[in-house]
Amino acid sequence: MKLAYYPGCVAQESGRELDMATRWVCRALEIELVEFPSFSCCGSGFVDEANEVLNLAINSRNLAIAERAGLDLLTICSTCQGMLTLANVRRRDPAVRARVDAALKPIGIEYRDSVHVKHLLRVLTEDVGLDAIRSRVRRPLAGLRVGAFYGCHLLRPADEMGWESGEEPHAFEDLLGAIGATPVDYRGRVLCCGFPIQFVKPDTASRIAGRQILDAKSHGAHAMATPCPLCHISLDAYQNQAERAVQQPLDMPIFHLPQVVGLALGATPEELGLARHLVPTEPALARIGSSSL
Amino acid sequence: MPADAISAKFDVRRWDAVAGGAPRYQRYELELAPHTPILSALLRIRDEVDPSLTLRYSCRSAICGSCAMQINSKSRLACETQVGPEMDRHGRIVVEPMRNQPVLRDLVVDQSPFWTQYDRIEPHLKLDPAHPMPEGRPTSMTPEQVERFKETPRCIACAACYSACPAVEADAAFPGPMALAKLYRFVVDPRDHATQDRLVRIQPNGLWLCLRCHLCTEACPKDVRPSERIRDLKEMAIAVQGGTERGSRHAIGFKENIEDRGLLSEAKLVRQTYGAAGMIGQLPQGLRIWRKKPEVLHKPRRIEGADELDRIYEALDRESEGAP
Repeated sequence: MKLAYYPGCVAQESGRELDMATRWVCRALEIELVEFPSFSCCGSGFVDEANEVLNLAINSRNLAIAERAGLDLLTICSTCQGMLTLANVRRRDPAVRARVDAALKPIGIEYRDSVHVKHLLRVLTEDVGLDAIRSRVRRPLAGLRVGAFYGCHLLRPADEMGWESGEEPHAFEDLLGAIGATPVDYRGRVLCCGFPIQFVKPDTASRIAGRQILDAKSHGAHAMATPCPLCHISLDAYQNQAERAVQQPLDMPIFHLPQVVGLALGATPEELGLARHLVPTEPALARIGSSSL
Repeated sequence: MPADAISAKFDVRRWDAVAGGAPRYQRYELELAPHTPILSALLRIRDEVDPSLTLRYSCRSAICGSCAMQINSKSRLACETQVGPEMDRHGRIVVEPMRNQPVLRDLVVDQSPFWTQYDRIEPHLKLDPAHPMPEGRPTSMTPEQVERFKETPRCIACAACYSACPAVEADAAFPGPMALAKLYRFVVDPRDHATQDRLVRIQPNGLWLCLRCHLCTEACPKDVRPSERIRDLKEMAIAVQGGTERGSRHAIGFKENIEDRGLLSEAKLVRQTYGAAGMIGQLPQGLRIWRKKPEVLHKPRRIEGADELDRIYEALDRESEGAP
């Protein structure tokens, strides 16, 4: 399998461990990643707030880059997935399409709507398949109870994202089961991490993050895992503030999606960049008998 | 009993604000056709099994908006949610009152918080005194003008969106999806004279607290798509007032930030939103993160074809400046 790799901004800078883990897992599963130094930021939902058509146009440009190479596009971030999908979907409105294309044409870019935008979670569960993943597991995450945390833009609006249920998805839990972990069922798994208002009203954002972590914890989660590096920032890098907001210690290790898969397929914690997390992952690793960092 | 009847298990949250005590979940089991609406099942329980079960309903046809409640954690109208799919997915049907409003008894909530937020947006036309509506004649609107608010009048004020909203849950200041969707309806109404004032006043502790999680759009039984109308309001608010709020500054800052090199510069974004002085408050957290992730201070590389991005901005971002 060969895909245009769209890492997004965070995985190229402060979330490099996500990029490391993605490359490791894709190598192990024979997914060839083709890189394009011309991909821009997806706008992260903030450009959409400021200027909808601009957001659609910059993402149509990204899609056109993959299209020229004849490749579908792999995302590793729920928000990138949402914004790039939106560019595909909203173009169905002829008025929107005309405005976007009018901005792209003078710079010689034409997008013909042929690129499928797929998040790594979907590629793993649908294209690679759970059986194939199960057969490659070298270190089942047995005994590890993991709360999947989806990230809003991967799922919703469900009629536009065109994949899982917006409120009752199961792909991530299916994948966790395939790598030997025990998925935890909790309401917060499909809720917001607070990230979009981290800069607007930090206390409220932290309360939201804290509640989702508490929810996972009260349902017995030893760790959480997310397919979105922005959720990872809220849940891991800002977990100290979430603790303050909910007034109790949380101590919840937060994994990126390809990190939990990588652990099961035999990667070392070093190869997955686990030492870069702010909340130590050792307590979770100890449960699956992984070597310490 | 229909041939395809299933044994439906209901776990209904029971609680009475007057009696107090701890809430409990009561199990009821009924043989039902899979297509039975959950409201019909609850009414059968009330009529045939337990007359003390309290719920609110009226039309049974998804018109009145009275029977919104949580069904297996989703905010839904009970009259248009069927028993079969819920049993298939969950093996039981957990029925709870709506969230974000105080419970009075069982499935009935006090909707005051929801209506207070609705009042806050002043949900009536504010006309230009110099151009009152023509007496006895309809005011004409073009099809294009009507098209702009084709969705919002469908709202039946069921409060399912308010119940589903995690921003409301975390911050009582947030007006909630329905109030903001209604506000949009007046902002784009060509007869309304208070557009600018409405857009200015809704921003502090209001508009920018939306998480754009789209849970309201999933919950809405009438496809009003509140989260998308809230996005529209944000863009219009920026057009009217620029970056006067942290939320609008952040959106504008992000837009300008990536125009520069094509990728996000994280440290620069903090400065754009908080200003140089405000950054001091962010220092301790920034240092904590920097120790593990020194790249937060990196300037990203400049993408190939960054000039293309410039041209796209030139074509689309200049034209949007100005009044909505």
